[in-house]
Amino acid sequence: MTDRPSILVPLRVLEGESVPEGVPELLAHAHVVLLGYHVIPEQTAPGQARMQFEDRATERLDDYEEMFEEAGATVERRLVFTHDGQKTIDRMIAEHDCMAVLVPNATGPVEDVLVPVRGAIGVDRLARVVASVFGEMDADVTLYHVADEDTTDDDIQTLLGGMTDRLVEFGMDPSTIETRIDRDQDPLDAIADIADSFDTVVMGETDPSLATFVFGMPADQIAERFLGPVFVVQREPAPEDE
Amino acid sequence: MTDQPVDVEPGGENVAGEAPAEEPESVTDDAVVHDDVELERTIGLVGGLAIGIGTMIGAGIFVFPGLAAANAGLAATLSFAIGGLIALLVALPTSELATAMPRSGGGYYFISRGMGTAYGAIVGLGLWLGLMFASAFYLVGLGHYASAVFAELNVALPFSPVIGIGLLFGAALTALSIGGTENTAKIQNVVVGVLLVVLTGFLSYGVLDAVGVFGGGTVPEQFFSKGYLPVLTTAALVFTSYLGFAQVATVAGEIKQPGRNLPLAMVGSVLIVTVFYVVTIFVATSAFGADRLGEFGETAMVEVARDFLGLPGAVAILGAGLLATFSSANASILSASRAVYALSRDALLPRKASEVNLRYGTPHVALLSAGGPILVLVATGRVELLAEVASFLHLIMYGLMCIALIVLRRRNPEWYSPSYQVPGYPVVPVVGALASFGLIVFMQPASIGIGIVVMLASYLWYRYYAGDVTLKGDI
Repeated sequence: MTDRPSILVPLRVLEGESVPEGVPELLAHAHVVLLGYHVIPEQTAPGQARMQFEDRATERLDDYEEMFEEAGATVERRLVFTHDGQKTIDRMIAEHDCMAVLVPNATGPVEDVLVPVRGAIGVDRLARVVASVFGEMDADVTLYHVADEDTTDDDIQTLLGGMTDRLVEFGMDPSTIETRIDRDQDPLDAIADIADSFDTVVMGETDPSLATFVFGMPADQIAERFLGPVFVVQREPAPEDE
Repeated sequence: MTDQPVDVEPGGENVAGEAPAEEPESVTDDAVVHDDVELERTIGLVGGLAIGIGTMIGAGIFVFPGLAAANAGLAATLSFAIGGLIALLVALPTSELATAMPRSGGGYYFISRGMGTAYGAIVGLGLWLGLMFASAFYLVGLGHYASAVFAELNVALPFSPVIGIGLLFGAALTALSIGGTENTAKIQNVVVGVLLVVLTGFLSYGVLDAVGVFGGGTVPEQFFSKGYLPVLTTAALVFTSYLGFAQVATVAGEIKQPGRNLPLAMVGSVLIVTVFYVVTIFVATSAFGADRLGEFGETAMVEVARDFLGLPGAVAILGAGLLATFSSANASILSASRAVYALSRDALLPRKASEVNLRYGTPHVALLSAGGPILVLVATGRVELLAEVASFLHLIMYGLMCIALIVLRRRNPEWYSPSYQVPGYPVVPVVGALASFGLIVFMQPASIGIGIVVMLASYLWYRYYAGDVTLKGDI
């Protein structure tokens, strides 16, 4: 067993989604769970699509697997035909205990990493992902917090300081870690704006609420606006009730 | 998560040199697993129930009440109850088979694996054709409802638009399932939900009215006003209203947690529609008496609603009838396409038949080979004949499923380990088989004749095309 974190890379393998430039290098120090999936309409039985497309999909996944392995990652792969892509992705996260899902967009060599920190919850997993993926790279990590009126500077310092400590604990060089704080802005807009000057974003998943139900997950919205690769760090899996 | 091995090895090849596709390695609660590939299970309990109820409810409530009352009088209530009982007797064994073999293809799959390729071919091809007859029947029903809309609007047409509208909707549905990538299952769930709400409201009012709460009351009528035999012939006719639960089994490979959801969806949908049917007939015959109801024909329910609630009631039931017959036809076309896939996977039909087109990802050959013949059948416009042939072909499958269960239980092969077991074995499957075959006797000779011709043709096709294919499980 490796102590590399498992990162899920979902690709719609038959719809021309391939491994974008820079992504294998980005994940060189990770354990990649490569999910090739194909979403089919309900009129079609999944087995029917499989009979026709399995060979082509397997061929492509072979290529992708090689790309990740050449860059240095360890790779596991799955190929799934499904009516419901989200269900498949959720199942893969659970089965492989994935720490994060990568929204695969192209990037150049990674020098600056943006890590929006929302609150104390989930900081541990966030730090683990950042430290293990970027720890051995020559990248600068910026911890970013958008504070609201009620939050004192002390609170923010405790939050970001705690996060820095964890990163160092997991083996990161403190000199590569910066912090940045903005106030009185819409967090989502602020993150999306500032992200433009970074190469990649690592952020936590939010708890589902009415707002996320209506507008979608913030992480997904950032991914849509940012156009670079986004790591969505998953919440701690709920203890399984057998 | 249960991990069930599959140990059936099909062999041989057909005239075109195609061999049956390999069986999966194992099936889990969430996927069907082939070496490197997984097929995700995505339909939950609600989706399963919606398929079952959505397929069934169109016919029994919106097309048959008038026809059934004309044939059997008030005792048509009993005919529907008999149909429901037979459906239940078959649904229980089917549930066991489906949890043992949660794969796409439903009854065809169980019979071909349990009893061999010849039986499988007759049932599989019969199921495909039976679903076409059923779809055509629903479409003609839809035509009647759409025509009633014109009548309601006082648009006088110089010809009867029933068949034309049926054809139009048949063609539209086929085109929609080939080109549509919308989320049809979600729509189906909503449609079924709306239907159940409308019907529950309407029937509750009707029952209260029938027992005299609103001062109306009804003249007590003789229950067996047409004698006893018509009760059984009517049961044979209206059995088409119960064909939906087996459609749940045709998508068994896509149902989540099949061990739990398949039995619940199948038995549940039979119980729910039986209650609705029996109450509907009771209410309808109470409102008008069987003879007048019979005169209204296919759209009798509209008159019943008008009697209770005036124009708004008639409009509501018209709308519900359109939705219900439409959803039934849609579900049947999709099931027919699944049946074609299962047959072609097993090399009983050319592989080409289940081809998926690149643009929409839909099985256009299978859908066209269902949609085309349906239009021809709609053009005949013979509601009762279409219904009975559909029932005939399904009843053969139902009877054989019960027998397949008995065969499998007796031989008890290692791979047969259903997580749901039928209660009352062996009585339930034996009675289920006898009742299924028995009901056929009460059909019109023409329906029986067409059914037998279809079965013969299926058998001959199997001998010619795929005589060497073996599908039977190792038993």
